[in-house]
Amino acid sequence: MNDFFTALLSTSFLVIFIRSTTPLLLTALGGLYSERSGVVNIALEGLIIFGALAGAVTTKQLDPVLGALAPWVGWLAGILVGGFIAWIHAVLSIKYRADQVISGTAINLLAVGVPPVVLQAMYGSSTDSPPVAHPLPLWGAGELKFSPPVYAALLLVALTWYVMYRTPYGLRLRASGEHPAAAASMGINVRFIRYSAVILSGMLAGTAGVFLSTGNLDAYSRNMSAGAGFIALAALIFGQWKPLGVLAATMLFGFLQALAIQLGGSNLFPSSWVQALPYLITILALAFTGRSKAPRAAGRPLD
Amino acid sequence: MGAVNPETVQPSPLAARLSLIFTLLALLGLFIFPYGTLSHTGDAQALLQRFPSGLTNFTGGEFQNIPQVGAALSVGWVTLLALMATALAAWRRASWLWIAGLITLLSALVAAYLFGQSLDSAVATLTAQGVRARRIPWNSGGVHLGLVLPALAGLVSVFAGLSMRSVWWQRLNRLRPLLVPLVAIALAVIVGAVVVMVVQPIPNGLNRPLSWGELFTGKLDLVWYVYTTLFAPLSNLAGFFDSLKSATPLIFTGLGVALAFRTGLFNIGGPGQLTMGGIAAMLVGVYAPLPAPLLLPATIAAAALGGALWGAIPGILKARFGSSEVINTIMLNYIASAVFIFFIGSNTFTVLGRTYTLPFKTEGYEAKSDEFQPGARLDTMAHWLGFTRGEQTFVSLGPVLALLTFAAVYYGLARLASMAKWRGLLASALALLVGWLTWHTAGLPVSAIFTRSLLNTSLVIGLICAALVGFLLWRTSAGYALRAVGLSPAAAEYGGIHVSKNMILAMTLSGALMGLAATHYTMGGALDEYRLKANMPVGVGFDGITVALMGQNTPLGVVVSAVLFGTLDTGSIRVVTVLDHVNKDIVTVLKALIVLFIAAGGFLSRRITDPPPTALLEHHPPTISPATSLPDAQSSAPSDNTSARGPQ
Repeated sequence: MNDFFTALLSTSFLVIFIRSTTPLLLTALGGLYSERSGVVNIALEGLIIFGALAGAVTTKQLDPVLGALAPWVGWLAGILVGGFIAWIHAVLSIKYRADQVISGTAINLLAVGVPPVVLQAMYGSSTDSPPVAHPLPLWGAGELKFSPPVYAALLLVALTWYVMYRTPYGLRLRASGEHPAAAASMGINVRFIRYSAVILSGMLAGTAGVFLSTGNLDAYSRNMSAGAGFIALAALIFGQWKPLGVLAATMLFGFLQALAIQLGGSNLFPSSWVQALPYLITILALAFTGRSKAPRAAGRPLD
Repeated sequence: MGAVNPETVQPSPLAARLSLIFTLLALLGLFIFPYGTLSHTGDAQALLQRFPSGLTNFTGGEFQNIPQVGAALSVGWVTLLALMATALAAWRRASWLWIAGLITLLSALVAAYLFGQSLDSAVATLTAQGVRARRIPWNSGGVHLGLVLPALAGLVSVFAGLSMRSVWWQRLNRLRPLLVPLVAIALAVIVGAVVVMVVQPIPNGLNRPLSWGELFTGKLDLVWYVYTTLFAPLSNLAGFFDSLKSATPLIFTGLGVALAFRTGLFNIGGPGQLTMGGIAAMLVGVYAPLPAPLLLPATIAAAALGGALWGAIPGILKARFGSSEVINTIMLNYIASAVFIFFIGSNTFTVLGRTYTLPFKTEGYEAKSDEFQPGARLDTMAHWLGFTRGEQTFVSLGPVLALLTFAAVYYGLARLASMAKWRGLLASALALLVGWLTWHTAGLPVSAIFTRSLLNTSLVIGLICAALVGFLLWRTSAGYALRAVGLSPAAAEYGGIHVSKNMILAMTLSGALMGLAATHYTMGGALDEYRLKANMPVGVGFDGITVALMGQNTPLGVVVSAVLFGTLDTGSIRVVTVLDHVNKDIVTVLKALIVLFIAAGGFLSRRITDPPPTALLEHHPPTISPATSLPDAQSSAPSDNTSARGPQ
């Protein structure tokens, strides 16, 4: 028992903690843009998967040509593919005024079907991509070494806060999510704002996916997101749709996941209990958040 | 759209344009697409018949006794002429469009029939020579796009032509809700076709690179082959039973999602609720010391209860705390899978250094429960419906006859007011009698392979559930309350309906339906054994979303689309064994695309999917206005309507 608590204070636990938090943080920040602009984005989970797949496959294909540069291009591919898929969600929910939850679910379903089809066609395996020779580099000192998306995530918290509260774009974005009709009457192009916000969310979720595949490991494998998109969504609600709140909430959920990993190795509790823990806490957290301050127009198309 | 003057009646410009597009496509297709498939080898290498003559051969082999399809080809000329006439009629918006369309349709069907006959007679010749069925290449033949498109164009033209008459217009109007799902399927099929073309090289036995023309034909044939194989299970009884087997869980999950949808809730928790249903069914079905007549209903009820519990949690959380049921159901999916692993994954577990034992996992390496007691097993359909007389196996017609009797008596007595109270009872009694008398006497002869089908009576439970959901939603006040909450919670509240109570009720019932899907996998033995097994495909909970959307959240629609997707799932197994670059998840992609396109309303304008009431159009009857002014008339009326409806 005591060993376990000592382990929690070690550097290696800190590394696990930061690695568990990063994808949640990136995705939740993405969701922040989308939802504050008034588009519910339940597709985040699928966007992570598409980003992870695009990152791993691109890196693998370009490895022989570009060498150490390949993972960076792979990251870019993950961002672009994430943005593109999010654009589909945007078209459906903004232009065709689809039910945003259903449209997002369709993208999540697509993310279940597309990876096996692509992997089977390219590598003859339906679950994993072959490992890449050059994953994203690890930066840092001693044991504290992380791939670039980790640092990007931290920078993005500050950047998002600045964009949301200190730029005209952020003000317009928040207005579009609270009262799109009023925003439109002030000459704000609500559609443009919403499109850009949803695409941004896809790019961030794509980055989270790239972190999972080539930033943390060296290949894409099925179920690697393990609900990170949905937990990020919960963190977004728990963090009350605010950048710093989101940082705190994702750190909480990231800590729980790291705890689950640490407990899994410790034999203190059955691993199945431990695996369920983050999801259980998510439900509890949502219940205690109560009827929260969601962007008022979230989920409603602009007429 | 009342026809004012029958003399001047002609098809509307939209209908004519639609017919023209299809007809021109078919005219083009007749020449550039293959006319029929003579053979597909085991590797999907094709021998194709072209129109007006010629063969395209991808097999690289020489064929003896190629079927003589001259008759089918000469009828093709008739089809060609009929198509040209149809195109002319559509161009001129002639009132005889439907006749030309009908001729096109009939001639294409005759050509298809003759083509099939030629193949059959070639097969018969070879069989007579003592060649084994598996070595006869012509068994795998059939019609191809070149002939199917004219038939389709004919069909479209018939309805386009007939729509000028107000009777037919009203009949077709009633089918309007089918428009979005059908267009969504069509779009998904097109995208799926592109995917297949990209990922799968042409099965080529020629040992040489293909020319551009062959490349085109080969890719098209590939797509045609994939789709015909996906739907092939419908062409024989064994395949149909397999399709129904895949469809059974989809009926439950589709109903579950649809019921929640009707109450304005989105239940993505199917996988978790299904898992909990399975665990509860296992606890009762394996361990409960009950006599057989009680055990079966108790086990079924347990499955429903397990799912209901897991569905009620997000319902209560939504009603009490306002937390989103979408996220909570997803979280509960992960928790349920952890619970499942806890129960079935191992016999021991350790908490803080102390080890406890669990009895649930059976001996051995595989993660599965002990066998269900014999009394807790559902009969297979083959055993339930089938009977043998002498050497021959029959499928009973008992249930069909019973249903027919019920319908005949019930509706036959509808006119007699004095019987109003009793006709339901009388019809049921007579139906039961007929069913009892004919169950093991009247039947269709089938091959004995059919008795091996794992289709089980959980299908019957599913159909009963569909009927009950329909009854609940549209024939009871409780269902009215549920639908009212779904349409507008605020209005329902104002009307005295307890919104949170109904939300909890809907999620509980929805969960119960999801849980019942587990009866198929555990009590029904659909996974080869009467056990709770780790390979239970809980993803059908997500497929329920597709099924419900496709079925427009109506019980009948759910059943039909469940059978459709069950067929695709069954057919995909065959596709994957033949084509090595196509993954069976191509069907998952198709399903996802269908959801995507339905969400987008099929990219159709609201004017088409949800037209304004005819009263608004009464002043602009399209039959009178000339072609040029019509679009204005049509577009102005709906815009009045949308503005009247206001922002949503």
